[in-house]
Amino acid sequence: MTNILDDYALMSPLRHRNNWLKLVIVLFGLLVGVSSTSPITPLFIALCMSFTTVALGRAPLKLYLKLLLAPVGFALTGVVIIAFFSGSGQELLSFNLAGYPLSVRADGLELALLVLSRSLSGMCCLYFLSLTTPMIELFAVLKATRLPESLIELSMLIYRYIFVFLDMALSIKYAQTVRLGYSNFRRSLNSMGMLGSTLFIRSWEQGDKLFLAMNSRCYDGKMTLFEVHRPVRAIELLLTSVYFLSALALFYFTKNISII
Amino acid sequence: MHIMEGFLPSPWWQAWFAVSIPVIMYGIYKMNKLVNEKREILPLLAVAGAFVFVLSSLKLPSVTGSCSHPTGTGVAAIIFGPAISAVLGTIVLLYQALFLAHGGLTTLGANVFSMGIVGPVVAYLVYKAGMKANLNFYIVVFLATAFGDWATYVTTSVELALAYPAGGVLTVAGFMSSFGKFATVFAVTQVPLAIMEGAISALLFKYVVNVKSDILIEMKVIEAAVVKKLRGISA
Repeated sequence: MTNILDDYALMSPLRHRNNWLKLVIVLFGLLVGVSSTSPITPLFIALCMSFTTVALGRAPLKLYLKLLLAPVGFALTGVVIIAFFSGSGQELLSFNLAGYPLSVRADGLELALLVLSRSLSGMCCLYFLSLTTPMIELFAVLKATRLPESLIELSMLIYRYIFVFLDMALSIKYAQTVRLGYSNFRRSLNSMGMLGSTLFIRSWEQGDKLFLAMNSRCYDGKMTLFEVHRPVRAIELLLTSVYFLSALALFYFTKNISII
Repeated sequence: MHIMEGFLPSPWWQAWFAVSIPVIMYGIYKMNKLVNEKREILPLLAVAGAFVFVLSSLKLPSVTGSCSHPTGTGVAAIIFGPAISAVLGTIVLLYQALFLAHGGLTTLGANVFSMGIVGPVVAYLVYKAGMKANLNFYIVVFLATAFGDWATYVTTSVELALAYPAGGVLTVAGFMSSFGKFATVFAVTQVPLAIMEGAISALLFKYVVNVKSDILIEMKVIEAAVVKKLRGISA
């Protein structure tokens, strides 16, 4: 993992739009996607979100496609299991595998496609959020919700230290690799153990230093954040409502449609 | 074993949130108590959370060729106990969903339950039982991490099987058959993975004991006498 999605979010032009609006769009997409009963609505949401991320958010198209492929492994395994083992309707395809009869039934396939499209729309919504909104912007939103103070404080500190340690871990890993630390299986296990322990010890020392530094600057368990006020523009509001209405309409009209 | 965004249908993702939230609230309560007692613990918790995230974003040397990551929560559970690991796990899972697109927001509840709650609790129980039985510390760490991982993967299979039982309606037989299938397919990657993570965690603790054992004594993970025995110094 050399680049985190956050890096792209910092460069995105959509970063300077209202955070609440983006969050509402994402939550709407997630909820409608997950509760839809036909694969058409989630696909529509996925298309809209992808278009917004790539065309308006200027996320590199190649990277975006690669990102979409990444979680496909889990999705496919799950979907194949659902396709083969659930459902009781008409048989579409059946064969024997090592003595076990396997068959795909119509409603099982239908369910599998639905789940696949839901996952796809969920992923697109998540990518929209993570490719256009850096975490620092979201902290202001988190502060406004009534979550416990210590939880938010902890997440902010964790966020900061992720980058410090990621750098450290990568340089240790490069150093180990050039010294053939990952040349065979036994050595890789050993190297991973060394990497983990060094990381652990260093992070512990870092934590001690952090406490001293913060204490000497009068840390009292609260960090104040500066929130930039970003008004929602009329055109954004219009586009969002058109998108919401069309998604809802599609959701309503495709309620009972099945494609197989 | 992250469940993907959108994979769990409607009554189930809410249900897992309902199960996870009280546990996290309890974890936050415990954490607040600890922080009020010892103020220097908050930065330490923060770096521990970052450590878990970084550890889980590193690719493990893999046997099956699939992309596999350690969960890292086993180590956290051994050091901080399960309640605080649940809070750390939740934050880490949220970041994983947002930065790496592992897991998702609607499935966060289910993922927190399997990886932030069940895994650490099992790891912690195994660890405590093993230490009480006076086994070798490294073997206990290995067992705790491996069993924690397996518990996570069994829980994930249960979550998926409850949502997608065989036959389409939730019955005991349908659940069992579907659970068997999910568990078998995931076992291919998860069983060796857990063993490897256990080995790496044991190695990790070995280096920590050799280099900076005072951390572990301070956090009451192991006693000074055990460290001396492990390092081969006769007291």
